Amino acid sequence: MDIIIWIIAGALLPWFPFSWIFNRLLVSAPGAWARALTVIVLPQLGLLLLLKSGAWYLLGQEMPTALRALALFTAILYAYRAAGTRDMQIWARFMATSGLSLTWLLVGVLPQHWEMQLFVLAWSIPAALMLIWAGVLTKKTGGSYLGLSGGFARVLPRLSVLISLTALAATATPIFPNFFALLQAMESLPIIWMPLLLLVLLLWGWTVGRLLQDLLFGIYHGDAVHDLSVAGTWLGGLTLGVFALVGIFWGGIWIIN
Amino acid sequence: MGNWAIAIPFLPILSAVIIFVFAHSARKVAARISVIITLLTFILALIELTSYALGGFSRVEVIGTLWGSVWLDPLTLIMWSFVSGISLLVHMYSVRYMVEEANYTRFFALLDLMTATILFMVSAADLITLLVAWFLVGVVLYFLLGHDTNRPAAGRYAFWTQITYRAGDVPLWLAAFVLIRSYHSISLPVIFSRLQMYPHLDAFWGLSVPELVGFLLAFAAFARSAQFLLHGWLPYTMDGPTPVSALMHAGIVNAGGFLFNRFFPVFEHASIVLHFVFIVGLITAVVGSAMMLIQNDVKRSLGYSTMGQMGFMVMECGVGAFALAIFHLIAHGFFKASLFLGAGNIIGEAREHDGVPADPVYTSIVERRPAKPSRLPWLAAAALTIIVPVVVLSVSHLFVSSRLLHEQGVIILLFFGWVTGAQALFATHKMTHTNPWRLMGGILGSFVLVVIGYTLISHYFGHFLYPHDEEYQIYGAASINSVYFDVLVIILALLFVGAWALTFFADSSGWWDRADQGRWRGVYLALYALLSRELYVNDLYARMTQILLSGARRLNVMLRWC
Repeated sequence: MDIIIWIIAGALLPWFPFSWIFNRLLVSAPGAWARALTVIVLPQLGLLLLLKSGAWYLLGQEMPTALRALALFTAILYAYRAAGTRDMQIWARFMATSGLSLTWLLVGVLPQHWEMQLFVLAWSIPAALMLIWAGVLTKKTGGSYLGLSGGFARVLPRLSVLISLTALAATATPIFPNFFALLQAMESLPIIWMPLLLLVLLLWGWTVGRLLQDLLFGIYHGDAVHDLSVAGTWLGGLTLGVFALVGIFWGGIWIIN
Repeated sequence: MGNWAIAIPFLPILSAVIIFVFAHSARKVAARISVIITLLTFILALIELTSYALGGFSRVEVIGTLWGSVWLDPLTLIMWSFVSGISLLVHMYSVRYMVEEANYTRFFALLDLMTATILFMVSAADLITLLVAWFLVGVVLYFLLGHDTNRPAAGRYAFWTQITYRAGDVPLWLAAFVLIRSYHSISLPVIFSRLQMYPHLDAFWGLSVPELVGFLLAFAAFARSAQFLLHGWLPYTMDGPTPVSALMHAGIVNAGGFLFNRFFPVFEHASIVLHFVFIVGLITAVVGSAMMLIQNDVKRSLGYSTMGQMGFMVMECGVGAFALAIFHLIAHGFFKASLFLGAGNIIGEAREHDGVPADPVYTSIVERRPAKPSRLPWLAAAALTIIVPVVVLSVSHLFVSSRLLHEQGVIILLFFGWVTGAQALFATHKMTHTNPWRLMGGILGSFVLVVIGYTLISHYFGHFLYPHDEEYQIYGAASINSVYFDVLVIILALLFVGAWALTFFADSSGWWDRADQGRWRGVYLALYALLSRELYVNDLYARMTQILLSGARRLNVMLRWC
């Protein structure tokens, strides 16, 4: 029974190879908003299943090496794969998978359940926002593939700013919460394992650089498009602002722990 | 000093917020707000520095949350004044220079954010604040360098900078966690005091904690200060707006020198790291200077000049002259900022009319035409060239502190001073001039003035930065066995003198012309090709990137993009 719980949890709170199911579920969600909701709800369900069923007690006091290695492998694999895509929606899915897989490093380490939930949200929220912006971009330009017509900084300046900030938020840039989440994940690892997690950080830097390069630079050659409304921009900006504020306060909580 | 000192790094943030929220469409207002607040920041930083110099004391101020804190010590106060001063110059220059560019207000807001981030970075009193600020410098710089989004090249080179910076973030993270685990605190003053008590804690691979952390910090510094193999991005930052190039080359790239100084208690117990740092700095200085010489673009040439200077700065750290590295980065910052800010106008003027007068100095140094033999007797010239710099440098150091001449690090720097001074005199000797004695006298006079001024200023500056003679401990850590050291200095001295003699006699007897026709021509061309392709370092990285990307795409196809 425990094995089944672990597999289901591995599909919802992704680790490889069950992360494939997580991504498949995200793809099959109808529309950007549904995908955004899915990327928030599924990992929380996975976490709930793991914590409430008591399956994680099997781990004992020490995190098994195999589980730690699998979590880090998943994070590295999906960060690397994110560098190979120029589609915003796929990028958001891969980054979410990469970040969420790190939750496994903290199972049993954090004393409070709500801290785990916060950790998961730190990766889910920017991924959800990114999926929403991908949906908006698709509506305006017909797709979220950035390889054909970049240069959105000039034609869609408001949307480009929001996408850029969200991409930074998704890749553990200070002062967003997942920067501190990553510090927390680092804290949970023995020093000898830390370089692997730092490889994830390096890969995220690479993928976000490639995404921004495709998104912002160059001359736009597509049809005329209308930018995001002022109200929509303020709403997006406000969400990111609140998200950053949570990060600053959460950084303090991590140190208390 | 009042508690309001911690408001200084927040002022540029305030300016950026005001511009983003209230003045994003009011170009003139935004520029004025930005310049005025930067001026205010600079004035307050100077007041803080002055009040410390008049009898202040170092202290840590906590900003309100558990990890935000600033360390108000001499290093911070000097760096605050320097950074805000350079930033003010760049702001004022940008008001008119950027006026025709799109996103004018965003540019000023980003300049402000960059200033604030650097101010936090140099004053961080805990590891989390340092990591946050260190990380954000790379992010903000990316957007400043990529200001002109119409040009894909701007994005490409901004990306190169960003990824190199990220590569430098990684070792700093690891260093921070090794320190936290070993000394159970995130506060830098606490860590340093515990490190003095327990300096020989074991880490890995036979290294102690200070040695491991020292290597990691050195790698972080190498990425920021464009040391060899991590230098490819620096010359290409010229694709960003000129004020950003100035800020970049005058301020941001100096972060390596700052990092060594901030963590000097670590390096006191990490001799092996200092030797390694010296070698990397030396290679960078030589490669940067060699590449600078073959550039035909004035801004690219300045870029490689910065690389050479950064190599020299890191080398200074390697010999233990930490305070001198800070003095160097400030001096370099100001002269490089003025060169960059002047470069644009000079290029414009040169395009309109050449106006270069016939001048022997220009002909000899810039055009590198073969010099005619000097009328100065060669023996007198050789004696002046070799002996005078040694005497001037030694006497000036003896004057400020006789103890200095017992430190190997100082001897090495004197050696470099001697080589540089002698090279300048040697080049002068090669010039044709109606009155060679007068020319040589003038050069010697300037040399003496510069050396004495530099020695005095750097000595008192070092004493201000390290009032308890900590510098001597670092010099001690950077030393090697005295027999090896003496042999090394003698061999190097003979090599340099021999090379000058060879150059002199080869020039006089026309060896170069004959060699140019023979088999050496092939070697010369190969060397030129190698340097003009920047040693193929960037090509190698580009190829590696292609291979990695192609692997990622194949993997994605194999796993059906899920």
